[in-house]
Amino acid sequence: MQHVHETGEPVPLMSVDDATGDLVRAARGGDREAFGLLAERSWHRLVRLARSVVGELEAEDAVQDGLVAAWGRLGSLADPDRFDAWVSRIVFRRCLRANRRQRGRVSLDAVPEAAIGCDPAASLSAWQLLSRLAPRQRAVLHLTVVEGMTDAEIAPLLAITPASVRAHRRRARESIARLLQGGKS
Amino acid sequence: MKDPDLNDELSRFEDELRAWGARPPRTPASAARQRVTARLSLARQPIPWLRLAASAALVIVLVIVTWVGAPGPARESAAVARGSFPPPVDPNVVVWVLDSRTTVYFVLGPNGSAKGGVS
Repeated sequence: MQHVHETGEPVPLMSVDDATGDLVRAARGGDREAFGLLAERSWHRLVRLARSVVGELEAEDAVQDGLVAAWGRLGSLADPDRFDAWVSRIVFRRCLRANRRQRGRVSLDAVPEAAIGCDPAASLSAWQLLSRLAPRQRAVLHLTVVEGMTDAEIAPLLAITPASVRAHRRRARESIARLLQGGKS
Repeated sequence: MKDPDLNDELSRFEDELRAWGARPPRTPASAARQRVTARLSLARQPIPWLRLAASAALVIVLVIVTWVGAPGPARESAAVARGSFPPPVDPNVVVWVLDSRTTVYFVLGPNGSAKGGVS
């Protein structure tokens, strides 16, 4: 499981190394700098996930809020080496909350209808299509397509079963196909 | 989804999603670290000894509730006066109080004796 870093070099996405566990243990003891380092290391991965769930505007705020919330709950993390999956779950929940707030304000479906034109692939951006899906479907599609994660890796991140991961992905692809076909007709 | 055109479009969408989703965040990780660390000083981290104190307080409350709920000597004697308890009996007698009107006495005989009985 790898993703492409800013430099273009693939780096491990969820490495379970000793340093993570050590940093978590130090942070539990009140070491803010250690937690800051954990935040820095997780930042890109978490923002990418959040962006796919809540969009560009709210992603970074959701991740920051999630990280601060995680600091307050470090005591409940059973296995310090599983910090990455644990903090992803917290951030994902923050994103779901942000989504509910968004629904109250501006609909995510507020994609201009004119944009769904005769050449959907060209006229609809990835986010415009993605925003039509349910939040869990967006997350599953992101983690599968962008992060290249397996169902077994995605499941604990979203607190669902691998079978649910498959179901969400299937429904997401069906919805995207319908949107693409709808644009054609 | 057997339509080859549709499959092509789906692949194109996934390529576009891959490119869109893999972009770096607007805020660099080092700046994000500083922002998060600055917010941590405002956020309280639960202190383990607070949990310990809460557990100790809970135990104390339970002990008090149990002690208050248990029949004290004064209440016990009042209960005896009201007839709620059977009168004191011989150590060789086992008493079962089935309800307020039914008390069963088992009289234990001496070792080896077949005597004894139930009243």
